[in-house]
Parts: sequence; C-alpha cells; structure tokens
Amino acid sequence: MSTIQGNLPEPTLNDDASDGQADTKKGQSQGRIILRRFLRSKVAVAALIIYLLILVFSISAIGIGPIHGWWHYTYKELNPQVNQGAPTLSLWPFSLGEHPFGQDRIGKDYFALTMRGIQNSVLVMVVLGVFATVVGVVVGAIAGYFRGWVDAVLMRITDIFIVIPALVVGAIVGRTAGGLGAFGLAILLGLVSWMVIARLVRAEFLALREREFVEAARVAGASDARIIFRHILPNAVGVIIVASTLLIASAILLETAISYLGFGIKPPDSSLGLLISQNQSAFTTRPWLFWWPALFIVLLALCVNFVGDGLREAFDPRQQRFSLRRTKETEPTEDEAAAQVNAANAANVAGTTIDDGPSRAGVPDGPASDDSAGGDSAGKPDGGGSSGSDKDQS
Amino acid sequence: MVSYIARRIGVSVLILIAASFIMYVLAAHSGDPLQDLEGSSSPNKQALIQARVQSQHLDLPSPVRWLLWLGGVARCIVPIGGGCDLGTTFQNQQVTQLLPEATAATLQLVTVAFVLAVILGVALGMITALRAYSGFDYSITLVSFFLFSLPSFLIAVLLKSFIALGYNNFLADPTLSPLALAVWGVVVGLIVQLIVGGTFRKRALTFVIAGVVTAAILWYMSITKWFTQPSLGPVVVIVFCAAIGFAFVALLAGVHNRKAWLTAGINVAIAIVCYFALQGLLNVSSIGTLIILAIASVVVGLVVGFFVGGYDRGLMMRIGAFTAFFTSGVIVLDRFMRSWPAYMDITNDRPLATVGGATPGLNGDVWITGLDTFTHFLLPTISLLAISFASYTRYSRSGMLEVLGQDYVRTARAKGLPERTVIVRHAFRNMLIPITTLVATDVGALLGGAVITETVFGISGMGRMFVAGLYSTDVNPIMGYFLVVAITAIAFNFLADLTYSALDPRVRVR
Amino acid sequence: MKITRKRVRPVLGAVAVAAAAGMVLAGCTTSTPSSEASSSGKTITMAQVNEVTSFNYNTPQGNLDINGMINYMTQPQFFTLNQKYDIERNTDLGTYKKLSNDPLKVEYTLNKGDKWSDGTAMTADDLLLGWAIGSCYYDSSKTNDNGDVVSGTQYFSTAGGCVYQTDLPKVSNDNRTITFTYKQPYVDWELVNPIQLPAHVVASEIGVSTKDLTKAFMNTPAGDADNPAPANKTLEKAAKFVNTGYDTTSLPKDKKLLVSGGPLVVSAWTPKQSMTLVPNKYYTGKHKVNFGKLVIRFIADANAQVTALQNGEVDAIQPQASADTLKALKAASGVKIQTGDQVAYDHLDLNFKSSVFSDATERQAFLLTIPRDEILKSIVTPINPKAKVLDSQIFLPGQEGYDQSVKQNGSSEFDKVDIAKAKSLLAGKTPTVKILYNSQNPNRVDAFQAIQASAAKAGFKVVDGGSPQWASLLAGGDYDASIFGWVSPGAGNAMLPQLFQIGNGSNYNNFNVKEASDLAVKSQTTLDASKLLDIKMQIDKLAFTNFYGLPLFQSPGLFATNSKLKGVEYFGGQTGLVWNVWDWSK
Repeated sequence: MSTIQGNLPEPTLNDDASDGQADTKKGQSQGRIILRRFLRSKVAVAALIIYLLILVFSISAIGIGPIHGWWHYTYKELNPQVNQGAPTLSLWPFSLGEHPFGQDRIGKDYFALTMRGIQNSVLVMVVLGVFATVVGVVVGAIAGYFRGWVDAVLMRITDIFIVIPALVVGAIVGRTAGGLGAFGLAILLGLVSWMVIARLVRAEFLALREREFVEAARVAGASDARIIFRHILPNAVGVIIVASTLLIASAILLETAISYLGFGIKPPDSSLGLLISQNQSAFTTRPWLFWWPALFIVLLALCVNFVGDGLREAFDPRQQRFSLRRTKETEPTEDEAAAQVNAANAANVAGTTIDDGPSRAGVPDGPASDDSAGGDSAGKPDGGGSSGSDKDQS
Repeated sequence: MVSYIARRIGVSVLILIAASFIMYVLAAHSGDPLQDLEGSSSPNKQALIQARVQSQHLDLPSPVRWLLWLGGVARCIVPIGGGCDLGTTFQNQQVTQLLPEATAATLQLVTVAFVLAVILGVALGMITALRAYSGFDYSITLVSFFLFSLPSFLIAVLLKSFIALGYNNFLADPTLSPLALAVWGVVVGLIVQLIVGGTFRKRALTFVIAGVVTAAILWYMSITKWFTQPSLGPVVVIVFCAAIGFAFVALLAGVHNRKAWLTAGINVAIAIVCYFALQGLLNVSSIGTLIILAIASVVVGLVVGFFVGGYDRGLMMRIGAFTAFFTSGVIVLDRFMRSWPAYMDITNDRPLATVGGATPGLNGDVWITGLDTFTHFLLPTISLLAISFASYTRYSRSGMLEVLGQDYVRTARAKGLPERTVIVRHAFRNMLIPITTLVATDVGALLGGAVITETVFGISGMGRMFVAGLYSTDVNPIMGYFLVVAITAIAFNFLADLTYSALDPRVRVR
Repeated sequence: MKITRKRVRPVLGAVAVAAAAGMVLAGCTTSTPSSEASSSGKTITMAQVNEVTSFNYNTPQGNLDINGMINYMTQPQFFTLNQKYDIERNTDLGTYKKLSNDPLKVEYTLNKGDKWSDGTAMTADDLLLGWAIGSCYYDSSKTNDNGDVVSGTQYFSTAGGCVYQTDLPKVSNDNRTITFTYKQPYVDWELVNPIQLPAHVVASEIGVSTKDLTKAFMNTPAGDADNPAPANKTLEKAAKFVNTGYDTTSLPKDKKLLVSGGPLVVSAWTPKQSMTLVPNKYYTGKHKVNFGKLVIRFIADANAQVTALQNGEVDAIQPQASADTLKALKAASGVKIQTGDQVAYDHLDLNFKSSVFSDATERQAFLLTIPRDEILKSIVTPINPKAKVLDSQIFLPGQEGYDQSVKQNGSSEFDKVDIAKAKSLLAGKTPTVKILYNSQNPNRVDAFQAIQASAAKAGFKVVDGGSPQWASLLAGGDYDASIFGWVSPGAGNAMLPQLFQIGNGSNYNNFNVKEASDLAVKSQTTLDASKLLDIKMQIDKLAFTNFYGLPLFQSPGLFATNSKLKGVEYFGGQTGLVWNVWDWSK
C-alpha cells in the first residue's frame, strides 16, 4: 500500500466525520487509513480470520503436494468402513474418532476429502480472482487510458464476453477443462470472468487521467506505462480490491454450480461442489455427505462476502455519513450527526461543504453512485454494470 | 435518438455474432459428439456414426459449421431460402420447434421470481436504509449475505425436501402442537420487534403482542382445519380490504388527507359489495373473465379517484386504482382458497409438488389450474427469489443511504416537507436510477442461473436443453439456448440505458 | 360548461367500457367442467429421464430407450421377451414358423381380425413394409469414408443395420402370410419382427395407395451396388418418410402418425412435461391393459424422480441404482422396491497388441491381481445383496448355459486374488500398465482405484488412463487395459463376432485367438440350439484360457413403485419398467 503515498493530489476523505479526526492527521497514508477503517469493522476482520483459519486448517490437515499433513488418512486411499461410514466426531466429550466426518461410499475418509475440497475450492477462488483481476485491470487500464479506437475495440470485446452468462460459459469451459484439475479450471474460468473489473477500472481511468497530477506527470516526461502503473493505478486500487473480492465470493458459487452440473473438477480429485453433487442422493440417508461440504461452501462464501463488505466500507465511507436514526435522535456527539442536524435545520452551508469532498473520485461523468453500484454488482460476475460503457461515452 | 438506436442495434448484432462464434467453437470442442456411438455395441456402428457426421456436418471444422449455423439464423431475419433454421439435435428435432416450448417453461419460472425479487429487494433495502445500523438492519444484512452465499441448488434441495415433503406430510394431520405454536409465536415476535424497533420497553411489548397474536391465529387455524380447508370468510375479507385502503392512503397521501380517505373508502365499499355480489360470476369464470375484472376494477378505481379528485386529482386516481386492484385481489384470493379442498382431492392430499410445471392431464376450471400452477411453481420461485433478492437488498440499501445524504433531500427536509413525502417522492425515485442497471444485467444472470433450479425441480426448460446438449456435445440446442439468453441480456441492457436516461436527466443518449 | 363537459366525457367512456366489459364477460365464462371421469379407469403415472423424440425407434437418430418404450407399447410384436430374456410368442397377433433349415425359410401369418388403432386391418402389406425396412434388400449404395453416398440409392436407414439378407418374400393370396427365404442361415431369425409401421399410413403420407406401395416393393429389383438401377420414386419417398417423418417434438397434428398396433395409443403430449397413452380400443390380444391412462412424465434429474415418487406425484420410477437412493426409498412409506441385474456388465479387457500384454504370462499375472470380489462389494452389493461376481464373458446369470459354462470355462482360477502367484509369474518384472476408463463414471473410477491398489502389490505400476473421452480412445489402442461396460439386448448372438472376431470394429482389445474368431463367425449361421450353446461355451473357455480379460459384475437395476400400483415386476432388459405394462393395475 505504500506506493499510494505521494500520488494523492489532495488530502482525501477528510469529510468522513464518522471516522473521527484521527484519519485526517498529517502523515497518514491513504493505505493506512483504509486499513485502520477496515480493522475497525469487527465482522469483516473476524470473517477474514475465519477464512484464513479454514485454509490453514485444510492445508495442515492433509498437507499439500508431496508434503503430508497431520491427518493420518489421505483423500485417495480406500479404508474399511467404520461405524457404517457415519461420522465418529463427538463434541462432548470431544473426540475425533477414526473418521470424524464419516466415510464416503467406497470408504474414503470424508474429512480428508472435504479438506481437499476446501483446498481446491479456495485455489479456484484465489486463482480465478487474481487472474481475472489482472486481465480486467490490464484491459480496463489500457482502454481507459488510451481511449479512442483502442478503448472502442477493447470495450466491444468486453461486451462480447459479457453477453454470455457466467454459468453457461463456465459449464462449457468446465467440461472442456475439467480434466485439467483445479488450477487449469480456475485459469480458464478467470479468462471469462474479468469483464466487470475491466469496466470499473476503465471508468476509473477515464476520470483519473484528466486530473492534474497525471497532467503533471506527463509534463515531467513520464512514460505511458509509468503513468498508468505508478500514478493512476494506485488511485484506482480501492475499486479494484472491492470488485475482485466480490468476484472471489462468486467464484466459489460458480465452481460449485458447475461441479453440481457435472462439468467441474473430476474425481478422484475433489472439490466442495463435486462432493455435494456426488452425494446429493445421500441427502436423506447419509446427510453428513451432503452437509459437511455445504457447510464449508457457505462459510467460505460468507467470509469473503463480509470481507468484501468491510473493504467496501473502508474504501468508500460515504455510506456511513447518513443515518436517519441519528438525525432523529439528535445527539450531537459526533460531527457527523451534528452536521446532519444542522442540515435538517436548514443550515445549508454545512451540508454543502460536506458534500463537496473530493472522495468521489472514480465516477467520471455518469450519475451518482455508479461506482458503488458496480462494486456491489460485481458479486455476480455475469454482467454487473454492463451498460456502463455506453453511458460514459455519451 | 433514432440514429442512436440504429447504431446500438448494429453494434449489438455484431457483438452477438462474435459472441456466438466463441460460444459455438467452445461448445463444439467441449467434448466428443460421437462418444455415445463410439462406445456402443451396435452392429452398424459405423453407419450410425456416419449418419450423425453427415446430418451435423461433423466432418467440417467448427468455424465452418458455425458459418452454416449463422446462415440458418440469418434466414430467421431475412426470409430467403426456407425460413428460420437453427439446426437439428442429434435426434433430428428442429431447434426452432424445441426452443419456444423450452423458453415458455423457463419464462414462467423466471418472470415471477424476478419481479418479486426486485420488489421485495428494493422494499427491504429501503427499510434497512431508513433504519440503518439498527438491529433490524444488521439482521437483514446477515440474512442477505447468508442467502448470497448459498449455492442455488442447496436452497432448492432443502426447499424440496423440507417444505414440500414436510408440508405435505403435515397436511395428513394438520394440527399444531402447543410447542409448535409457542415456537412460531416466539419467532414471529422476534422478527416483528426487530422491524418495529424503538426502546427496549416498546420492543418487549411488541414482541409479546406479536407473539401472542400469531400463536392465537395459528391455534385458531389449526382447530378449524384451516390448512386443509382454507378460506378468508367475509369478516377477514372486509378487514383486509379496509387495511389495504388504509395502507395506500397512509403511503401515498398521508393520513390527514380527507379526499384520500374518501377515495379509498368508496373503493373498499365497492369491493366489499362485489365480494358478495360476484361470487356466482367467479364460479364460472375463465382466465379471460378474471383479466377483464382486473381491468374493470382498476378503471373503477380511477373513475372514483377522478370524481373525488379536487386539486390533487392524479394522486386520488392513483390511490383509487391501487386500492381497487388490491382489494379485488383479496376477493380472488378468497375464491382460490375455496377451491383448495377440491385441489387437495385431485392430488391425493399432497398438494405441494416437487417436480414439473403442472399435473399432467389435469382437467379443471381456472381456480384448479391456477392452484396447480401455484403449487408447482411456488418452491422453484422461492429458491430463485431467495438468491437473487439478496443483492437487490444490499444495492438499494446503499443507494438509499447515498441519496438520503444528498443536498436535494436535505433541502426538501429543510423546507418542512413531511418525512413520507421526502422519502416517497424525492429519495425513492433517485434511488431507482442505479437499480435499473442492476435489474438489466441480472436478467441474463437469472436466466443462466435457472439452469440449476430447473434441474432440481425437474422443469424441462431452456436450462435443461442446454445441459442435455452439453452432455452429448450437441451444439445446436446449446446455441439455441445461447441465442435466447444473449438477446434477452442485450435487449434488457438497452432498455436499462433508455430507462436510465428517462430517470436521470444528466444522462443523454445520442 | 366547459368543466361539465370535461367531466361527462370520461363518465360516458367509463359506462361504455363497463358495458363492453360486461358483454365480453358474459362470453368469457365457462361452465364448470365435470370432474375427471373415474369410470374410464385409473391413471398410472411413471417417470422417465428423456423426452420422446420420435415415434420410430428404429432409425439412427430415434434410437433412444424412451422411443423404444413407446414403440414397444404401440407397435405390434410377434414376440416379446420374458423375465429370463426367453422369447415368448404372441399368438394373439399371429404365428410364425420355420419351414426349413437350409435354406432357412420362415413363414409369418397374421391372425384374422388384427387391426390398427384406426380400424384398418393388418395385412401382409404391413409385413412387407417391415421386411423392406429391416432387410436393406433394395439398397444399391456405395459410400465414401465420410458416409456420403457416392453411387446408387440408400433407402431405409435403421438403427440396427442390415443383419440378415433374404430373397424377395412371398405373399399369400389372402394377404395375411409372408414367407422369408434367407440367403444364409441366420442365428437370430427368431428375433426378426417383420411388422412395425402401418403400411396404409406410410402410403397415404406419401400420397399413394397401399396397393401402389406394395407394388413398388414387389417390382423394384434387389439393389446391386456395382450396377445401381435408377431409384424407384415411390420407394424413395416411402423411405424418406419412414426415416424422418416420425421425428417430432410435440403431438403431431397429423393423427395418422399415432396409429398403433399395440395395446396402447398415444393420446396427448405436453412437450417437456408428459405424454399420455390410452388403451387402443382395436387391440384385443392378451396384452390388453387394465387401466385407463398411462402418463409418462419426463423428469431428467434422478433425485427429482425419487422425491416425486415419495410425494406421490408419480407411481413408478426406474432410478439409477445407488445404495443411497435405495435407502432413501426404503425409508419412504408406501414405496415398493425391486432390485435386480441389468443386461449390462462392466468388464476389464487386456489389449493384446500392447507391449505388456502381448505376453500371455503377464496377462495371467495381471488378471490374478484383480480384486473382483472387493469391487463387487463396494459397488453392487449395497444395492443388490444377492449379487455375485460375473464369471462368463458370454452368458449372464439366469440365461441358459451360464452355470454350465462357468463350470468349464476356467474362470475359477480368478475367483480369488493371488498376489503370490502373480509375483512368481512376473519373476521380478515391474511392468507399467495404463488403464483406460471413463473418469466421469464413479463406478469405473472406483474399480480402477481398487485394481490399481491390488496390482501394485504384485509389482505392476498401474497408470491412470482415465478420460471423459474414453469412448473415442477405445479404438485407438493407446492403452494396456480398459474398463468399460457392454449393454447386450438380452437375447441374440450378434455380440459374438463383435467381441471375438479378429479385425472386427468392436474388438477393441485386438483379441487374436484364431480358434475363437472362427467359432464366433460360425455361430452366426448356426441354427441348432445345442450346437450354438456348445460353440458359445467353447468361446467362453477360450476367452479365459487366453486371458482375454475379466468380467467384473452385472450392473444393478432398481424399480420403485407406489404400493398402490400392482403388477410391476423387475426386468433388466432395455424396455425397462414397461416390459409388462399390461399386467399393471391400480
């Protein structure tokens, strides 16, 4: 985050009264401010910690690659059925037993399988997210920075990909690439999920490239690449991080859906979606085969969604400015509330200054709330904000 | 404007062509179209393979086949040389014949879910924004994130296993135990106190009242066998109608507007009279009758509003129309309920369906077939609704919060407009602007996502066609599906842009 | 004044609209429809995965199980298979008898009074059409590698292909009897059903009289690929109609396409949802049904079928057999379950052309490591506890000859895994074996994993050759062994040359034992039952002693029905549930 330092044209975000005055102290980089604000959101931090814990747990349990984990079974070996395959996990008194999550039909340890599924699902999430973000940022940056025919061509290409629902193209890609394993699948899915980010980054670039600091850099003789990567990109990082987080959240659901239809990762490897799909007929008879992977899918997706929400609020504090309740309760303990009360009492001046803050970087000439809108809709990579480009052109 | 539309359509067609190329080549290379035959033990395997190769042109490279396919599609627009041709499936079925049937099934499923999701999502989002950072807001946030994180098939499977089978099993002996009554009371009480909010005292009181009332109603329903023989009866119909009138007056005009009371009152009175007068007509109604009655009721509402009118005639007509429409809805609902026992009989007392779109060979009046559609589409619709409305809630919440902080809202408030007017007239309208974009882009996603819901609920719609085509690498049905979805997505995006410019004067289409 | 006028106009409008609405309302009402008549009998609802695509099963594109089921119930059959896959003659339709062995002559006679569902009598014209479709007598076509006809004419294209050749049949004077003279003895002559589609419908669809159609059949010379005669127009049109005219996606407007000669006739079809069949009132034979309506619902998802049965929406299902499905159904109240074997079986084949398995010792050593019992226990036993390991390459348990053949074919050597012996045969070698299988089929994956683990103990390095495209890789031979399944029709001997003849297109593993190959070819012209049995037993033995591979297990099957539905019996053949639809009642 330190790269952000120095590129900001003005001290931003000083209007965010609800965050108190600490944020506006001199010498604090934007990155640190955002980090602080993110850390203040307990739910988001807890979600992040849980997510990392699950990941570490799954990796340490069954190991990764050739390294063995602490769990004594692998997800590949067949074992004799213990307890008719039912889970041996007992919470009180706590004991894991032989197969804490039970066993599948042919006696594989379901704990190991689930852990492997988590690893693969997380791998898909991260690889897809990173890959799609990189592609999206490159496409969006080039389009937004160079404008003209480059922009037109790239955005039409984006439109072409956006026309096809993610699940549909994902199913086709999955069927083609299912044999490639989680990594190959994730890369290919990433190839068809970058469009939303490309659009958001483009919009961001269209606005930022007109700003004075870019002009200054250009006059100073900076190359295009330097301007893009050193000057503009750091300023667009908020939008990118938020959008890619939500993309990651939808990635696990996409992988799950594709595996459910039978076009995803293939056995003997495992993913959470595949486990559910294979065992859906066991729903009433051996529910654990269904519930363990379901639990982790929901948990992982929920964590990422909360982290994404925390990030969004950290990067975009405008939404916290107004609370009807606070206005009504008229408790002027915070500057924010005071400002609101003033506003409500027809003190227009106060309101105006608050609104004039430059934190609205990011939206070019489109209507208000377009960027936060895009951030939200990125949760569904199928086409969030696809009408954006045409508006911006006009 | 015209040139803008022409340009937009031109670009859309080019995009569609390019996307179809990608889709075609991807689909064609996703598997081996001859797999089932190559593994078969049929004595004339070679002949079978050759027959398929010939009919599907599998000997040509996929880009060439795409050109052939595109030629067929072009003939749908320019009628030269034999009309529309989207190719055939491996079973020699014309995709042009399959597609309308499949599309109809899917649209039936998606439309209701979509409309409900938008209405419910926007409404909840608004309420949470107005009560931002309250317990209610946090609970809705949690619930919507939870729904957002649920894989769609999970919710579908759960609904099917627990609600359908569970409720049908419950109907075999429809009595609620005291424990069940207590649980329901507590749950509803908790929810209601969250919505109402306020001080602890107020919340506790709300909780107790709501819980007790809920339990009492359920107990009454249980002892009167309401679940197997539901009906509203005259009293409840009258109460409901009055409540609807009150709600629209309060929402649209405010409780101090006498003219509004008069408009709503007249309409409610007409509705109550109609409830007793029209039963004979309803018994012999067809779908056409119901549509006419619906239109008639709106007209009556408008006319009443017009005559009461006064300085705010438009508003009165709106109140009248809404009141009339929804009160007649109550009457129709009551009539549907009274057909329930007959419908239970037809379905062997297991009304909630788990599969398909209709009971095969059902032969009944509009009430029975209406109930049949209801029981078949209830659960799939809920499962689609649950996952898509979550994003609308989040979206409209943040949109509303943002709008409420704007200058013009402050100005409106500052000049002393009542809170209701500020929210309904100023904030709501502006909040809708960004929602249109989401709505448009969501349509494509929803059509795509329906694949899984269709699979779980055994509805043979477009999604099924796509999945089946993909399993056997049968490209033509896949492309038929793609055409419908892509055109819908493009069309809705276009519509969204037009709506956008209508709602937001800052955006201009060129 | 102005104001009043403004007020009056809408009022008048409203009155006019109300009046109009009232009039339309009166027209729009319906009388209460009578509730479903119960006098016509009960409705039975069953579920099927696929939708009907054609009313003619016997075309390359129409060859789906569901189409076969519909044809089975709506087309006349001279015979049906019983539960043991034996042929049972349907003398209520007509009789057939073998007149002589060499040349093989068979005479078919329709009973007097046989009628199609539109009341038209069945005649030898129908038999002649059936024969013309199945015999390829008129074809004079030559095709290139792409399947394009380069010369001559190809008339009827069938799913089954031209498996027998006869001379032009003789038709009796009363037009009820037809006699086939086969060019060479045909082992499965009893499986030829020379009646399928109504000739009068085909004739009227192409705009000629039945007589003209028959004339065209009688007067067109046999096809000669080297000197093709110009195509007969009538015949060409008839063939084109039969080949594609029955393909449809919804209930055809042309009711002639629905004309049935079986116990049921299609009466309604809601595309994508269900098809309804009602009794054929002109059918008087012993397969008359005991219910009023058969509704077939198309439910693609197997789990959805199970819930639909539990919820009483369907009465009978034939779900994919898995232990969990079975358990879930057992737990449901009012559901009756029947399990059994299908006519399909999974097997491991060794590639005789591969570098490893061209050596018989290594073949033997590998087969000795196959844990057949373990595979059976993990895959089949949970569904069918009575299941046993399959011990014959040719016979299925329950068929005549299975027990006899198992005793002599040498399969007992592989009853148990014998790692020690395998090791000694290998003598320290550690060959690498690549096994091809369908990596998307969990059963095959399980079997592969079990084999991999067991063979490793003897020193084999088993390489995973699993692929979703396994079928197209089968013929390539780039593997040492393969695991896949065969589906046999239950009766007949067409499989023998396919599996054992050297150079046959379906002999994927290049089994090259001359003796077995010759026997397999000979079997196709053997009419004597005991001789045929002897040949089959010999081939079975040769397959084991030459280490062809090993049969693993018969695929398990599962029928589940509502306990109100009576008469459903298990059957493993391709007609599935409906094989005895005439015994059903509710």
